[in-house]
Amino acid sequence: MKRSTLYSILVAVVICTAPLLVVAARVGQAAPDFTATASNGKTSHLFDYRGKYVVLEWHNNGCPYVGKHYKSGNMQRLQKQWTGRNVVWFTIISSAPGKQGYVTASEENEYLAKMQAAPTAALLDPTGEIGHLYDAKTSPQMVVINPEGVVIYDGAIDDKPTTDLSDIAGATNYVNLALEQAMAGKQVQTPATRPYGCSVKYPGSAY
Amino acid sequence: MRGSDSSRRFSQALTFGAALALYAAGAQGAGTPIPHGTLELVAENRWVTPGHGFSLGLHFQLESGWHIYWVNPGDSGEPPRVTWQLPPGLNPGEIEWPAPRRLRTSSIVDFGYEDTVMLIVPVHAETSLAAQPIARLGAEIRVLVCREMCIPGRTQLSLTLPVKSRPPAPDVRTRELFAAARKDLPRPAPQNWKFSVDEAKDSFVLAANPGAQIRQAVFFPLAEVQIDNSAPQILQPLATGFRLTLRKSDQLLKPIKRLKGVLVLSGNQAYLIDAPVSKRGAQKNDSTSRIHKIQSSREEPQK
Repeated sequence: MKRSTLYSILVAVVICTAPLLVVAARVGQAAPDFTATASNGKTSHLFDYRGKYVVLEWHNNGCPYVGKHYKSGNMQRLQKQWTGRNVVWFTIISSAPGKQGYVTASEENEYLAKMQAAPTAALLDPTGEIGHLYDAKTSPQMVVINPEGVVIYDGAIDDKPTTDLSDIAGATNYVNLALEQAMAGKQVQTPATRPYGCSVKYPGSAY
Repeated sequence: MRGSDSSRRFSQALTFGAALALYAAGAQGAGTPIPHGTLELVAENRWVTPGHGFSLGLHFQLESGWHIYWVNPGDSGEPPRVTWQLPPGLNPGEIEWPAPRRLRTSSIVDFGYEDTVMLIVPVHAETSLAAQPIARLGAEIRVLVCREMCIPGRTQLSLTLPVKSRPPAPDVRTRELFAAARKDLPRPAPQNWKFSVDEAKDSFVLAANPGAQIRQAVFFPLAEVQIDNSAPQILQPLATGFRLTLRKSDQLLKPIKRLKGVLVLSGNQAYLIDAPVSKRGAQKNDSTSRIHKIQSSREEPQK
């Protein structure tokens, strides 16, 4: 009995640390595959979207940097603009249970409806596995993947790392730039930036 | 009659007590509230002397467990930003940042300060200031205070100082505060330590020769996205120095010319580092690639 408890703890530790050992996504390299359950109950598999551009948006509804882009309607505008152009948009929530930003499926569905958010799906990642796979540091960190499955942008949503809603108007949006340049057949001019915002609230965060 | 007398005495005592409390507050520093802490604008000198420089301090006191950020905040967060409102003739310099600490949460490492920190700002007073009897100093501060979560704060600070033609005189009430803050400021590293930075494929190797073995070293990069903040910094003690291997940031896509930052040795000796990057260890020597400019700090918003 005791031994089996110890064994299951060991297994749990191994499972928990395993994603940390995976080499994280890098610009210019293949986007790591993942399968996740969305708040709408469906299962999303990244590799099913080969042939389309995919945007990953790290989300935490309690983070003031995320709040800046949702209260202003900026994120919803981006979601509508790009999904309208056949881009797949995944909002990813990597907050662990009990930590800021953690939501159940129904709480997330309520939030999406209230905020009139329009991602393709909101993916629930309470173990932080997808977050670690992409080495997501902050919310809102943004990743853009091209139709060949290569990461073409990784970093901040824009060049104004603040919580001020008034900073959105004059900001250069890196996600727009990456998608526009890539769709025009050009090289993405700014393929990587420092992602700004709140730290992703992974399981085991010290505080 | 007697009642009103005693109540008058009581109110006098109250007034006296309030005055004492106010004085004590002024002496010890009554901060303006910010999220989970206080912030006070203090001056090193008792008055402003035209033609001389002096220092102001932004004194943060935070509740246990909460932190604010260094000029490069690391993986998340943002540094405090100041918008000065100073009379013409008073010119503020750049913030002098004390050496930060590594603040780790899971796989994320931030650079910042816990408990209490004072950011010193040198100010120069032009001779034209002599026409005014007093100088009203104002500052709007935007600061992000974090623990498990982050709370942005915005506060207005003010301080009034007399303007006198007499030589500058230190304010005894803030002397210790400034002395303690200066102790934590990084100093220029001695030239004879011979700093070098070698670039390898996935790392920079910072080496120096201070003449003694170094057993503890932590590097804080001034610019974002140069080194991987959360990666372990591998120290190799040498007979008279050390080599410190710093993993490159995944977001560093272009070569850098210089590595700038703060190096903290033995836990408390902080040095400013600004060393050219040599590509000796690099896999290929691509002399045609563009060198991108290091953004040493975030721009202050001009408002």
